[in-house]
Amino acid sequence: MNFRINIANRIVFFILFLFAIEFFSAQNNSGTLKIKIHPVFNQTQLILSDHGYINTHGDSVYIDDFKFYLCKLCLKKEGANSFCEVESYHLVDAEDSVTQTIVIKNIPEGTYSNFSFNIGVDSLKNVSGALTGDLDPIKGMYWAWNTGYIAARIIGHSKVCKTLHNEFEFHIGGYLSPYNSLRKNSIKLDDLKIVSSKTTVLELYADVAEWFKTPVTIDVSKTNSVVLPNKQAMIMANNYSDMIKFKKSINP
Amino acid sequence: MKYKRIHILVLSAFVIFICSAFIFTNEKEIKFFVPKGWPKPNYDFKNNPLTLNGFDLGKELFYDPILSSDSSISCASCHLSFTAFTHADHKLSHGIQGLIGTRNSLVLMNLVWNKSFMWDGGVNNLEVQAINPITNPVEMNSKLVDVIARLNSSSKYRRLFYKAFKDSVVNSQKLFKSLAQFTGNLVSYNSKYDSIMRHEGNVEFTVSELNGYSVFKKNCSSCHTEPLFTNNSFENNGLSLDTVLKDFGRMKVTQSKSDSLKFKVPSLRNIEFSAPYFHDGRVNKLKDVLEHYTSGVIQSPTLASQLKQNVNLTKQDKKDLIAFLKTLTDKYFLYNLQYRQNIYQ
Repeated sequence: MNFRINIANRIVFFILFLFAIEFFSAQNNSGTLKIKIHPVFNQTQLILSDHGYINTHGDSVYIDDFKFYLCKLCLKKEGANSFCEVESYHLVDAEDSVTQTIVIKNIPEGTYSNFSFNIGVDSLKNVSGALTGDLDPIKGMYWAWNTGYIAARIIGHSKVCKTLHNEFEFHIGGYLSPYNSLRKNSIKLDDLKIVSSKTTVLELYADVAEWFKTPVTIDVSKTNSVVLPNKQAMIMANNYSDMIKFKKSINP
Repeated sequence: MKYKRIHILVLSAFVIFICSAFIFTNEKEIKFFVPKGWPKPNYDFKNNPLTLNGFDLGKELFYDPILSSDSSISCASCHLSFTAFTHADHKLSHGIQGLIGTRNSLVLMNLVWNKSFMWDGGVNNLEVQAINPITNPVEMNSKLVDVIARLNSSSKYRRLFYKAFKDSVVNSQKLFKSLAQFTGNLVSYNSKYDSIMRHEGNVEFTVSELNGYSVFKKNCSSCHTEPLFTNNSFENNGLSLDTVLKDFGRMKVTQSKSDSLKFKVPSLRNIEFSAPYFHDGRVNKLKDVLEHYTSGVIQSPTLASQLKQNVNLTKQDKKDLIAFLKTLTDKYFLYNLQYRQNIYQ
């Protein structure tokens, strides 16, 4: 009996020992990336509601709300497979600075030259039922009557809008062809270094001006409500697909 | 090489550890039962482990007006167990403060075989269906944030959520998953028709029912396909557009003109008790439903191809068809006490 307990104890210790090895080996040779996202309109910091900005069409627009999903964040170095964050779904909200910082841990050491991401939520998550975290429907970026996540949205106002409270609203979503709003993009990095047990900083802009700019200039007096997955939504999604821009990176 | 072995050892130790935890916490796990000969369910409980506590919690929520903004109505207000969970005697149902919706309350049964939900199929997963009635201004009119706050401030629910999920903090995911554990288990498969198909005892169709069955197979079964009595598709069955409701059905969801006036093909199971019929509950009697298909179908570009020619039924055929439809009544389902409100709490 005693003999058995002894063996059992030894096995338990052995397993704990192995866990410890696994734990430390996982920690080895990996660092952290802290991504900071700065909401802007062209080059200037975005101030919600109280500040007018001139869009490409030449109208003064006020932005009251700006949110988007930044997902599937990946880093790539020359001659190696990409490192991608697991369960990578982040709701970025211009009103909530906490959401503007994303921390990714356990990235293999090395020099990375490319950062790729999705704007919007992939189709698999759109059909996966009740989710939590940033994908919780409670966050309001969700359509219940026509199931699916809103990829990105701005609500604003402009004198040129002959609408209630001069408001315009763009809720862009949809995951089914031909109105799939998911947009993939990437940014070239200037030798971003991930160093073991250190934190590297990557600063990005999220530029609202891009929504109104290219390829299709948006005239908010004519286009002021896009709230369904349709052709117009695809135009908006194409417009904002390049709204994420490189600001700077700080190597440790 | 040595390193690899250690990794494998660690991995297997980890797997054993996880498995043992699983055995201890899921002692009350229920296995979902698929009736013999039925297709594979579309909803998989693998991602929502079915337990008695989860089912009971879902049932408690289903019957509790706490989900509505003024605590006046529950899911069960419009989905009553003894009418296959539809709203008896109501063409359209009323939500808070007597506000009226635009569509007839659907039956809730065999939902895990559905490919989509609602009359227009706008909802793609059983778990997220409930967001609609909870947040619709003319139904429960709640904000999800408020519902979660109300549930979190209830000691009863914190206890029930703990029992179901080993965590007393309520979030929307647990709310919707528990509701799905209840609604997903509303399975109707014990009608007279089922007994006959399974050759149980010496149950047999009467002469009239048997003729009704062949009328059904000839005229109805391409859409109302056995054994679920729906093919999960959307069709325009030739009803006129109601000029007040102006409901074009699935077109609202897909934005496609080819879906104009199309609605979900509903199951015919328990149809004897699920009146009124059609998406806006416009007729009350089964004979009026048959009257529509034989002499009321309105031609239009999106009309179901099967209805482009007249459906001809004799008086006797109609009588027999109704007799057959009544063999789809499942009293075990309608009077199942497990589906009734918990009264012990």
